[in-house]
Amino acid sequence: MIEIRLHGRGGQGAVTASRLLATAAFLEDKHSQSIPMYGTERRGAPVTAFVRIGEKDKMVRSLIHEPDYVVVLDSLLRKTVNITEGLKDDGMLILNSSVPPEEIELLKPYKVATVDATGIALETLGRPITNTAILGAFVKATGEIGLESVIEAVKQQWKGTLGEINVKAVEAAYEATEVGDPKIVAEVVGEKAPAGSRADWRTFRPVVDLEKCTGCRLCWVYCPEHCIEMVDDKSVIDYAYCKGCGICVEECPVGAIEMKSESERGE
Amino acid sequence: MVGEEIVTSGSTSCQGCGHAILARLAFKAFGRKTIFTLVPGCIWITLSRNIPLFSTGTVFEGGGALVSGITNGLAARGIEDMNVVAFYGDGGTADIGLQGLSGAAERNENVFWICADNQAYMNTGGQRSGATPKYAQTTTTPASYIRRGKRTKRKNLPFIVAAHDVAYVGTASIAYPSDLVGKIEYAKGLKGFKFLHVQSPCPTGWGFSPSDTIKVARLTVQSGIWPLFEITEGNDFRLTYKPRELKPVGEALGLQRRFRHLTDGESQEIQSRVNGQWKQLLEIDGKRLPY
Ligand SMILES: Cc1ncc(C[n+]2csc(CCOP(=O)(O)OP(=O)(O)O)c2C)c(N)n1
Ligand code: SF4
Ligand code: SF4
Ligand code: SF4
Ligand SMILES: [Mg+2]
Repeated sequence: MIEIRLHGRGGQGAVTASRLLATAAFLEDKHSQSIPMYGTERRGAPVTAFVRIGEKDKMVRSLIHEPDYVVVLDSLLRKTVNITEGLKDDGMLILNSSVPPEEIELLKPYKVATVDATGIALETLGRPITNTAILGAFVKATGEIGLESVIEAVKQQWKGTLGEINVKAVEAAYEATEVGDPKIVAEVVGEKAPAGSRADWRTFRPVVDLEKCTGCRLCWVYCPEHCIEMVDDKSVIDYAYCKGCGICVEECPVGAIEMKSESERGE
Repeated sequence: MVGEEIVTSGSTSCQGCGHAILARLAFKAFGRKTIFTLVPGCIWITLSRNIPLFSTGTVFEGGGALVSGITNGLAARGIEDMNVVAFYGDGGTADIGLQGLSGAAERNENVFWICADNQAYMNTGGQRSGATPKYAQTTTTPASYIRRGKRTKRKNLPFIVAAHDVAYVGTASIAYPSDLVGKIEYAKGLKGFKFLHVQSPCPTGWGFSPSDTIKVARLTVQSGIWPLFEITEGNDFRLTYKPRELKPVGEALGLQRRFRHLTDGESQEIQSRVNGQWKQLLEIDGKRLPY
């Protein structure tokens, strides 16, 4: 029996990924379960889901506390969520990250696989929905499920073009995944975030061009997170609380705000 | 826009949530001398902790009774200068909360009821409500070859409340913040039952990009789907936003996945209903309603 935990953020499709993986296993005549962890997951908020694959008489129906694999759909989540919690000593992490495994800092010598799933999703789907790309990485890194089964599960989920571009995402990620050993450190330094920070909800961050900003305050009026302050008649964004919705970009009348991909900051 | 910032950052509402924009603008207008109440819904779960004022909540059916009790308790103690605010969703207002709303309105209780209308039961995953518009897809009104989304029109909530002859009824939009804030600032000074029906676009439930919340809100106002008006002194009706020409409804509907299945005929039906309603509203603009 293998047990898998998936971490993502509302909107990236972690629950769908767990279903696709369970379906792919089922297509290989295995017994499988997809277990979403229901709470009040809002778009952008951290989400957890689980998959169990095994033989019929060994299946249990509990949550998974000591997974063999941890799959992380978001590139920033590992800075704020304890993704290695309960992971078996010989377990493996499959991470959406634009850096190679050797640059991932961990306390224990887990095997690590990385793939730039956000980049691949943007190229193939045009949207940062990483659930299908990360499955390509899972297949390549673990060999637990066949690539063809995952592709078949994807095609059953989405017909037509949507299915095709998602298959492309799976294949591209399969090609691009790297497996290796992480950098072992004594302490993983997380982001120092204030209480209630929503920084890890973003895929994109709005960046203000102070030259262009006319100080009209429209972004300040409409920001749902109240995280814009006007300083000397210029818009200043508090990135601890910005959820990256993009309303300020849409509403700025002079185009002074631009969305930049979070991973461009250099992880 | 003046007014102290009351709502704090760090809520757990979705990216681009309309309720979050509404909460900030509304409580700026109410100010600190405010008690607000909650019934189950996205506001309670995701936002209420970020509104640091005295608040209390109750069961879905109990919203009207709760605000009535608070305002009468304050009056008994001689406290007259507090805003008692009901800050509920459309489920808590138009459906499950309707009997309590009607009772409080009929007694003309001195409270301010804001309905944050995202047109479905969003906190529980987006089931249809009495405020869901015709043809909209929700999780309980899917579109298929036999069903076309919701079968019936949404309730005309502001006119239902106005029929109770209350101190104030208004509609508002988060895309028109000075209209919204102005209405609260004016009406909070009136004694009796005040009702503001605010459209609160929900990117998650309506299926649009979180960056388009204000755009969707603005287009629905500009196309007449969400007209802005107020009814004062019981029956004095006035449109507060009157574009010379309405935009076609297609642009607003086209942004929302819940309307993606519409046929040309169905869009046309929505267009003619909006046109007809707008014509009627123009006819009664500046006049007294017949009751
Ligand atoms: C009597 C009762 N029925 C059902 C529920 C479950 N419930 C909790 S929140 C909610 C949806 C609320 O919808 P709405 O009032 O429109 O607020 P929104 O979440 O959409 O802002 C429901 C159905 C409940 N708490 N009580
Ligand atoms: S909307 Fe644009 S121009 Fe106006 S204050 Fe914000 S950044 Fe500046
Ligand atoms: S993207 Fe802009 S509007 Fe949205 S939370 Fe961040 S600063 Fe506010
Ligand atoms: S479901 Fe809709 S109303 Fe609820 S928090 Fe999300 S965006 Fe806001
Ligand atoms: Mg609702």
